Amino acid sequence: MGFILNPLYNIVSGVMVAFHKVFEPIFGADSGVTWSLSIMGLVVLIRVILIPLFVKQIKSQRALTALQPQMKAIQNKYKDDRQKQSEEMMKLYKEHKTNPLASCFPILAQAPIFFALFTVLNGIAAKDDAGNPAPIARGFLKGEYLESAAQAKFFGAKISESFLGTDLLSVKIVTVILILFMSATTFTTQKQLMTKGMPKMDASNNMMLQQQKIMLYLFPLIFAISGVNFPVGVLIYWSTTNLWTWGQQFYVIKRNPTPGSPAYEELARKRAHKAKHDGKEMAGEETPEVEAPKVEGQRQQPKKAKKKKK
Amino acid sequence: MKRFAAILIKGYQTFSSTREAKCKYYPSCSNYAATAIQRYGIKGVAMASWRLLRCNPWSDGGVDYVDYELDSADALASMRAAIVSNSSTQGRLKEGVR
Repeated sequence: MGFILNPLYNIVSGVMVAFHKVFEPIFGADSGVTWSLSIMGLVVLIRVILIPLFVKQIKSQRALTALQPQMKAIQNKYKDDRQKQSEEMMKLYKEHKTNPLASCFPILAQAPIFFALFTVLNGIAAKDDAGNPAPIARGFLKGEYLESAAQAKFFGAKISESFLGTDLLSVKIVTVILILFMSATTFTTQKQLMTKGMPKMDASNNMMLQQQKIMLYLFPLIFAISGVNFPVGVLIYWSTTNLWTWGQQFYVIKRNPTPGSPAYEELARKRAHKAKHDGKEMAGEETPEVEAPKVEGQRQQPKKAKKKKK
Repeated sequence: MKRFAAILIKGYQTFSSTREAKCKYYPSCSNYAATAIQRYGIKGVAMASWRLLRCNPWSDGGVDYVDYELDSADALASMRAAIVSNSSTQGRLKEGVR
């Protein structure tokens, strides 16, 4: 296992030490702020590297608008066979070399980093049999850096301590606040996606929606259960990455919403309104209607024509 | 062991159903893995890992079944048709006996 994990420890600790060098002249070598910022720097670096993937995905989602008619046709043609419908959809994407789906790569890519950070920070917190601190060096986090990181504090709590591993009230308070923050960011991110970011669902997707609602409330619970085992440093990493996800999604829903979602309709309305406004100055120009796909409801009943009374 | 893998995959699917990101392939990697492991055991694990590697930002995705001739919609449809015709012939046979 070592030959896979050691490079990961080197990457994580190397990035942390590099950021430490950057912030050291400002906040001091042993300051908790420096070490907290080092962890946050690691998050920002990873997420910035992942941005091109994200942009690529958004672009192919936009390209999908052009395929709307064909997608509708497929949905109508195979409405009784969901499997066939999905197959044909995939074929259509492949044919046009635009796949709006992300693949789980961004999540999978982050998992080893997260695990490595967890191990590195746990190494800082390690104690010997007598209960005395005996930090274990991993990667570039050794010598004076290791000593310094082991003492570094985040709002009064050592970044190497965890909720279950301590009796200190300050550590308990900080971990609980961080867990609450993680839960809150995940909750709002998901809620925003469900209410604004996704195409309206019809009855056939009802079960999925139900499942999502359950998960919405289950996530904070999962965070609470796992969070009490994690060192404060890992919680800082997790909180920062959640905050980033939230911000990224907020931006996308505002600027590049998925076609068919409520946010998309809102943006279309806004653009139409703006076009109308500008239209007053550039008289004679027609404002293009932005069409948003709607979920079909009941057929509109033809109105009874009034008969002429004789 | 196979049951354990199936439970793990099911758990992952419930967990990931909340995320917007979905698989580039049809069926999704997790569904593919479930079928592959159920059908081929250890070899299925290798197949699922290979699929996961292929499911990356640089691939175009597409339709990719464990066994196309067993799992595709057309295959299932023809299988259903075969069952229906089979039972109807049996019905006719019974009527003939009577």
